Amino acid sequence: MLGANKLSAKTGQMPAAKNKPPFKFSRVFLQLFLVIGSFVMAYPLLYMVLASFSTQKIYAQSTWVPIPDSFYTNNYSRFFSAAGNEVGTWIINTMIRVGWYIIVPGTVAVLAGYVFARLHFRGRDTVFIVLLSSMMVPPIVFLIPTYIMMARTPLAGGNNITGQGGHGFVNEWPALLLPGLVNAFYIFFMRQSYQSIPGDFEEAARVDGASTAQVIVRIYLPMLKAALTVLVIFQFVAIWNDYLWPLIAVSGNRGIYPVALGFQKLIQFYTQTNSATSYPAAFTLSVLATIPPIVLFLFLQRYFIQGVQGFGLKG
Amino acid sequence: MSITAKQPVSIKEEKPEKVVSGWKTWHYRHRQAFEGWIILVPILVYFFIFNIVPVLLNFFVSFTNWNGVSTDIKFVGIDNYLQYFKEPYPLIIFNTALFAFFILIVQTTVAFFVALLLNQKVFARGLHRALWYIPTLTSAAVVAQIVVIFIAPYGGVFNAILKSVGISPIIWTTDPFWMRVVIVLFSVWRGMGGPVVLFLAALQGVHPELYEAAKVDGANGRKLLWYITVPLIRPMILFVTVTSIIGGFQIFEAVFLITKGGPFNQTNVMLVQIYSDAFTNNNFGVAGAGAMIMMLILLWFSLISMRLLRQG
Repeated sequence: MLGANKLSAKTGQMPAAKNKPPFKFSRVFLQLFLVIGSFVMAYPLLYMVLASFSTQKIYAQSTWVPIPDSFYTNNYSRFFSAAGNEVGTWIINTMIRVGWYIIVPGTVAVLAGYVFARLHFRGRDTVFIVLLSSMMVPPIVFLIPTYIMMARTPLAGGNNITGQGGHGFVNEWPALLLPGLVNAFYIFFMRQSYQSIPGDFEEAARVDGASTAQVIVRIYLPMLKAALTVLVIFQFVAIWNDYLWPLIAVSGNRGIYPVALGFQKLIQFYTQTNSATSYPAAFTLSVLATIPPIVLFLFLQRYFIQGVQGFGLKG
Repeated sequence: MSITAKQPVSIKEEKPEKVVSGWKTWHYRHRQAFEGWIILVPILVYFFIFNIVPVLLNFFVSFTNWNGVSTDIKFVGIDNYLQYFKEPYPLIIFNTALFAFFILIVQTTVAFFVALLLNQKVFARGLHRALWYIPTLTSAAVVAQIVVIFIAPYGGVFNAILKSVGISPIIWTTDPFWMRVVIVLFSVWRGMGGPVVLFLAALQGVHPELYEAAKVDGANGRKLLWYITVPLIRPMILFVTVTSIIGGFQIFEAVFLITKGGPFNQTNVMLVQIYSDAFTNNNFGVAGAGAMIMMLILLWFSLISMRLLRQG
C-alpha cells in the first residue's frame, strides 16, 4: 500500500493515467449496466421506504412500487405513541447491547493487540496462535454448548449448585451480554494496526516517563482511529442484526428482545394474521431496523474504507 | 554462536533498548512479560470458559443421546454421526453445498465486474459504491421476513408485477426450484457488499503504470484484465472465494424464515437442521454431531485455501 502511494506520487506528472479505464468496453454500456445493477440492489430498500409512507389503500393498489400521494407518517408514529410500547424497548435493548459489545471487545482488542505487537516475552506467540485458532471454528459449534452453559449456570435463575432445576441465564439479560467478549479477529486486526505504527512514538514517550497505560491511551489510540472505526462499524452492524443467538437464548422473554428478533416476530405477525392490510406497518419496521447501521456507515464511510484497504492489502 | 554473542552483529536481540546494563535489560524484559500476562490472563480465562469449553462440550454431547434437559445421559458412540447418512440428511448437506456453490459463483463474478466498473470514472461513483454495500448492513432476519411478503402467492409483490405485465402468477412457495433461486438471490444480495469493497481495495492497489507499460507492449483490454489484473489481485480473489464458501455454508435466516426448509426439505440447510434438531426435536446429540460435521467441512476449505495462498 505504502509502496503504491509512493510510486503514484512520484509519477504525478501523468495524472490522466490514474483514472483512465484500462479496458476498452463501451462507456455508455458500462454506465447502463452499473445503473441497472445498482437499481436492482436498491429496489428492495426503495420499496420498503415507499411502502412505509403509504396508506393501506395505496399499498394495495401498487405494483412495482407503491407511490405515496402524501407524506403519510402514521405508520411510524403508531410505533412510538403508545405508552410502554415494545418497539421502543427493543431499540433501547439493542443500543445497550451494541454499546457493551463495542466497548468490551474493543478494549480487549486494543490491549491484547498491544501485547502481541509491542511486548516481547516467552509464550506470547503460543497464546496468539491459540486465540487465532478459534477463528477457524464456525459459530454454530459455540452456540448450542453456550446455550447449555447459560441454562445450567449454577445458582442462577433458580438453578441449584449443580446447575439443575431452573432456567439459568436463559431468557435473562446475562445471556445477551456474556458470550463473545473476546474476539480473535479484532485482536488480530488491532495487532496488524499496531504493527503499522513506527515504534519511535512509544520510545519517545517512554523516555519522558510514560507508563504503558498512558502510551496506549495517549499515543496509540489516536493513531488507531481507522482500525477502531472498522471495529465500531462491524460490531454495530453485527450486534444490531444479531438474530440467531437471541433466538436461541431469549426467545421466551419478549421484554428483552433485541431489534432483529423482535421486529422479525412482529413483521411475521403482521404478514400472517392481518393479511395485506398491515403490510405498510411491516415495511415501516423493516425501515426502522435498517436505518441505524446505514446512517452510521455513511458517517464513518471514509475511515472505514481506509481501514478496510489497510486490512485487505496486508491480508 | 557463543563466540559471536558479544559482538553487536547478533541481531537475535530484538530489544529496542541497546546499550544498557545487564540488570536493566533483565528488568525491561520482565516488565514486558509481567504487563503482557496481566493483560492476557483475564482474556485467557474468559477464552477458556467461552471458547474452549463449548467446543469440548459440543464434542462430548455429539456422542450422547442428551435431550437438553434430562440428567440421564447415555453414550451412543457414533450413532449421531451415522444419522447424517440417513434420510433426509444427505439431501440437507447437498442443499447446503448447492447454495454455497451458486452463491459463490454469482456473488464473486458479479462483485468482481462491479468492482472493475467502480474502479473507473463513472457517473456518481460514490452513490453506486454505497448502494452496493448498503444491503450488507441490513438485518438478514428482518429483510428475510420482508421477502416473505414479496413472494407471497396472493397479494405478494412479485405476483402483482407479473400480473401487471400479463403473466399468470406463480405459486413460488410450493416450487422447490423457485424457492432455491429466491434463497440464492437473497443471500447474494446481502453478501455482495463485502466482496465488492475488498475487490475494489485490491484493484486500487494495482499500479496504473503496469497497464500503461502493457499497453505500450500492445496488450488489449481483455489481455490486460487476464494477464495483469487477475494475477495481481489473485490473493484477494482467493480470500473472497474462501470467505464466500464459508459464509455460504452457514446461511440460516433466509432458509429459516423464508422457506423453513420446505417444500419437503428441498431447501433445508445444515444450520437450520442443527437448530431444529436441538431446539425443536430436543436432540442435542444429533445437533452437536451436525455442528462437528460443519466444522470439519469448513476446516477442510480453510486448510486448502491456506495451502493455495502459500503456493501463490
